[in-house]
Amino acid sequence: MEKIKITINSTECIADKGKTILEIAKENGIEIPTLCHHENVKLYGACGICLVEGKNMPKLMRACSTVAADGMELYTDSERVKKVRAVALELLMSDHEGDCRGPCTLNCPAGTDCQGYVKQIAMGNDREAVKIIKDKLPLPASIGRVCPHPCETACRRTKVEEPISIAFLKYFAADRVLADNPYVPEAAPASGKSVAVVGGGPAGLTAAYYLALKGHGVTVYDAMPKMGGMLRYGIPEYRLPKKVLDAEIAEIESVGVKLVNNVKIGKDITLDELRKQNGAVLVAIGAWKNTGLRCKGEDLEGVMGGIDFLRRVALGEKVDIGKNVAVVGGGNTAMDACRTAVRLGAENVYVIYRRTRDEMPAEKIEISEAMEEGVNFKFLTNPAEILGENGKVNAVKLQIMELGESDASGRRSPVPVEGKFETIALDSVICAIGQKVNVAGFEELELNPWGIISSDERYFTTSLEGVFAVGDATNKGASIAIDAIGEANKAANVIDGYLYGLDTPYTAPVLSKREPDETFFEQFEKAERIKMPVRPAEERKHDFKEINLGFEECAARKEAARCLECGCHDYADCKLIRYADRYRIDTCKLAGEKHECFTERKLEIIERDQGKCILCNLCVRICREDAKQGIIGLVGRGFGTVIRPEFNKPETISVCKDCLKCVTACPTGALKLLNLK
Amino acid sequence: MRIIVGEGSCGIAAGAHKVYESLEAAGITPQITGCVGMCFLEPIVDIYSDGGELMRRLVKVKPDDAATIAEAEKTGDLSLLDSITISDEDAAFLSKQTRIALRNCGVIDPTDINAYTANGGYIALRKVLGMTPEEVIEEIKISGLAGRGGAGFPTWFKWNAARQSVSDTKYLICNADEGDPGAFMDRAVIESDPHNLIEGMLIGAYSIGASEAVVYVRAEYPLAIVRLQEAIAQAEKAGYLGKNILGSDFSCKMRIKAGAGAFVCGEETALIESLEGKRGMPRLKPPFPAQRGYNDEPSNINNVETFANVAWIINNGGKAFAAMGTENSKGTKVFALTGKIRRGGLVEVPMGMTIKDIIYDIGGGIRGGRECKAVQLGGPSGGCIPSDKFDTLIDYKELAATGAIMGSGGMVVMDDTTCMVGMAKFFLDFTAKESCGKCVHCRIGTKRLLEILDRITKGNGLQGDIDLLTELCEAVKDGALCGLGQTAPNPVLSTIRYFRDEYEAHINEKRCPTGECADLVTYSIDADKCRGCTLCAKKCPVNAISGSVKTPHVIDSEKCIKCGQCAAVCRFDAVIKR
Repeated sequence: MEKIKITINSTECIADKGKTILEIAKENGIEIPTLCHHENVKLYGACGICLVEGKNMPKLMRACSTVAADGMELYTDSERVKKVRAVALELLMSDHEGDCRGPCTLNCPAGTDCQGYVKQIAMGNDREAVKIIKDKLPLPASIGRVCPHPCETACRRTKVEEPISIAFLKYFAADRVLADNPYVPEAAPASGKSVAVVGGGPAGLTAAYYLALKGHGVTVYDAMPKMGGMLRYGIPEYRLPKKVLDAEIAEIESVGVKLVNNVKIGKDITLDELRKQNGAVLVAIGAWKNTGLRCKGEDLEGVMGGIDFLRRVALGEKVDIGKNVAVVGGGNTAMDACRTAVRLGAENVYVIYRRTRDEMPAEKIEISEAMEEGVNFKFLTNPAEILGENGKVNAVKLQIMELGESDASGRRSPVPVEGKFETIALDSVICAIGQKVNVAGFEELELNPWGIISSDERYFTTSLEGVFAVGDATNKGASIAIDAIGEANKAANVIDGYLYGLDTPYTAPVLSKREPDETFFEQFEKAERIKMPVRPAEERKHDFKEINLGFEECAARKEAARCLECGCHDYADCKLIRYADRYRIDTCKLAGEKHECFTERKLEIIERDQGKCILCNLCVRICREDAKQGIIGLVGRGFGTVIRPEFNKPETISVCKDCLKCVTACPTGALKLLNLK
Repeated sequence: MRIIVGEGSCGIAAGAHKVYESLEAAGITPQITGCVGMCFLEPIVDIYSDGGELMRRLVKVKPDDAATIAEAEKTGDLSLLDSITISDEDAAFLSKQTRIALRNCGVIDPTDINAYTANGGYIALRKVLGMTPEEVIEEIKISGLAGRGGAGFPTWFKWNAARQSVSDTKYLICNADEGDPGAFMDRAVIESDPHNLIEGMLIGAYSIGASEAVVYVRAEYPLAIVRLQEAIAQAEKAGYLGKNILGSDFSCKMRIKAGAGAFVCGEETALIESLEGKRGMPRLKPPFPAQRGYNDEPSNINNVETFANVAWIINNGGKAFAAMGTENSKGTKVFALTGKIRRGGLVEVPMGMTIKDIIYDIGGGIRGGRECKAVQLGGPSGGCIPSDKFDTLIDYKELAATGAIMGSGGMVVMDDTTCMVGMAKFFLDFTAKESCGKCVHCRIGTKRLLEILDRITKGNGLQGDIDLLTELCEAVKDGALCGLGQTAPNPVLSTIRYFRDEYEAHINEKRCPTGECADLVTYSIDADKCRGCTLCAKKCPVNAISGSVKTPHVIDSEKCIKCGQCAAVCRFDAVIKR
């Protein structure tokens, strides 16, 4: 066979004469993207994605069809090629409505593939589920127990009846895998590079885990005696048993992360020393200072901060709170504090909150469980003064409040009712109204006006070279664990790039979104959300044993099966979205009229989604040329061109041989094999 | 004396056949001819002497004129016809042209093969049969003839490529799928001189070695199809078509394929798909049709006008053809002159003439004495040329440098009342509808271009839209699969190039400088000028105008649909359009 010599992106390629550019590129490991090309059918050339530029050639060439000529100098990613390719993708995305990811995943700060693992749980593959979860968060059993689950807030099943119990399903699967045979992926070969992580909370542990998996030597330094941060010292045992946390931390350790406790930065070792010893430093120190009450009497003995209180209890210290305890605040820390107070034997535990129950930021379930445990909620009250005797608290004077106008956040602002007060006798006051960052040891880092470490939102960099920061200690301050975990995972990728001298900022994946109309939900039969069984209040309020009993297996499978599977089934394999992401497409740039979205489901086993069809015509061609059926074709012209006859026409059904070649060939998720029972 | 009625489609549409019937009724035995190209004067009746000399050309003839014509014929007093005789000025329309492709159009009877042979027809075919195919191709090469359908590719090169392809079966195809809005020269040739096309095709078929020829003609040209069918039958009968043509070894049959009228089928590979009975969508090139075309056999495709030059070239020599024109462009080109021109019609001029010559000397300038703004050359695939560039020569290269193209020769003349954004939108609307839907850049790209143009003309244009249009246009040109998509952005790019200020006015000031974009115009009544005649109120189709007799009227802008009828009927110039 006669040979020719061409260059592709400066790589010299020898190939058989008569081969196309695409074929030669493939032989030489050079990827040229294409959406409409398929080896089993004739050349077509519709997508315009495989265009390449040739030196001294005025026109761009379609790599799929252009037979290479000896001496060609080709460029597969020149600026001109990228531009034309990007426009093709922008045009395609402007008429592609795909629901790439379900709302659960989109609303999860860590981007966990909730739909993916819920599906695996429904199918009984708990280990697969944990694998999927651990791609984004390394503490599934812990987070599954404590996460306020933004995923569930976004869950579309709510439009049928109630959201899927996503968080508890995660806890279910993670517990089973943990008990059975823990899943720990293998780390990449050692890179010879090292990273110091300061802070062993969810953020620090997460970053350490992913950096270690990439082969880097990671050491986590923490000021406390044990790792876990707020998960250990802020969340009470009855919600997250320490043995669960310990087991998950042990898994992180097992991928090669070195854990060093009782180290205070600035005292035992300086930030500067860490910088010198490591390729990068990640600061994930959390927000461990209480916000003061700012009312008279807050310095009295018996007044303490909520997180200080929880930490001391977790450390096993004996905390004297007396019989009458007030917790000020309406968030989850306040709930943890009041319920811990109950368990410590307090007889009268009050929650002082200036608005009403409806406005409380705490989880609804936490509030009702606290009420079951006998906590007395004093809504519409605010401490005016903490009263004491001999320097010790003995009562609190409460200003009675009422709800006024809505504020910027949409919540009605509490306003004092002039002259109305109430005084209750107390032994201690626990203030759970907010957290601040203790930056001791990190004074060199630039802070924002609220005294929080400033960190870049895409690079997670601080004002010091090589020092990164994530989690509660940065930018907007204290938030939920999954938020910190999300940042930590992204930062791990940025740091990985940084260690190799690469510019790898976090960029949100390019996605297509779709919001189904209300009628869509009518097709689903109602199936109630399965409740997490809990120990009775009378029993649980006396000890710190976990209050959740965990899902029974059949309940978990049934619950998981409620998932509507909103996200595209083909997201992982979708070539369109992969290219759109690679070329950083602005999906709205060329927005315009779209095809109506609808699905055709009646063809026994194939569902066709018009919204996702990019008219590559592969299904038509495969059906005609490969399957020798030719039962579908193109109808209409220009933008109005569609694939017909409809998949749901009886005549189509009767001739389709179910060979599924079309489904396999479809470059997007427009064709889907329906689950056959 | 012979009385001849011009019966091309345009003449018939103007009432030529009614004139024919009236003449018959008046006792005359008229003959017919095709289209002479003077659309603005139809129906046309020519009076020839028995010696074949044109004695009078009667224009805008009405059936009522038949009696006078009969009288003049009887008495020989042609002065009776002075009032309907063509003016010297109008006659200049023809005298400044050089007719090769159209040489018989409006001259001979297209339904009679003898009329063609009497005028030198089929001599070239006889001559060719005595030459080798290579000699014929060489003669065409000398002539410099290039494809007249739009791309301007050298004809000899295509013929030679098809000649070189080895196969027992080859096809010669005539592209008569004339789709550019405003272009109708191919139709005129088929209707007026079908044998010229047949002869040109036969010479092509002989050259490449084809034994089958197909004319792909759009079904919207029923008269052309009928005349061509008749001509093919006559040619077969006379031995010019079929087995062993004129006693030679050369055999060739010819048939007509009526196309359904998709614009993209004018693209040669889409035409082939359609010919094969498939959906009209372009194929990837290569392989080129000369290698693998119709039925996967070597095929050559030229358009009608190209073939119409071939017999003349053989008869007169390639050199004579090449003597006309410029260095890059030889021979003549037919233009369909339309729009705001005084004398519209078919114009055949030697290459190298200026646009100004065509518009002013032949076309007589702008109708209504307005300012000429630009011409759109090459239809939806072409671009506009502003009036300050009218010195540009008719030459493939020169025209391309302006951003327009020679194209198939559609020349739409625009005056100062034409909104150039609206013009670009008109053509994009056409291409977006005619896109076959196969490739992404064309299918969605033209749609998005149209949407952006649409929002600009409606006053919803966004800052950055001009850049967005330009960027999208460049990508569509680079990325589209076939000529339709690759050239579709031309009207946008060239209007942006020459009339950017109009785009800016629409986007920045929400104003259409010409007032043509209805959404950007408001109508009001000047109270000082209005006499209260009530005419506008009566004409208004939506009752948006109120006022009592003899008092100034008022337009309710909420109700107004901006049809402009009020302004049209006002005798006091009181309606203000802004």
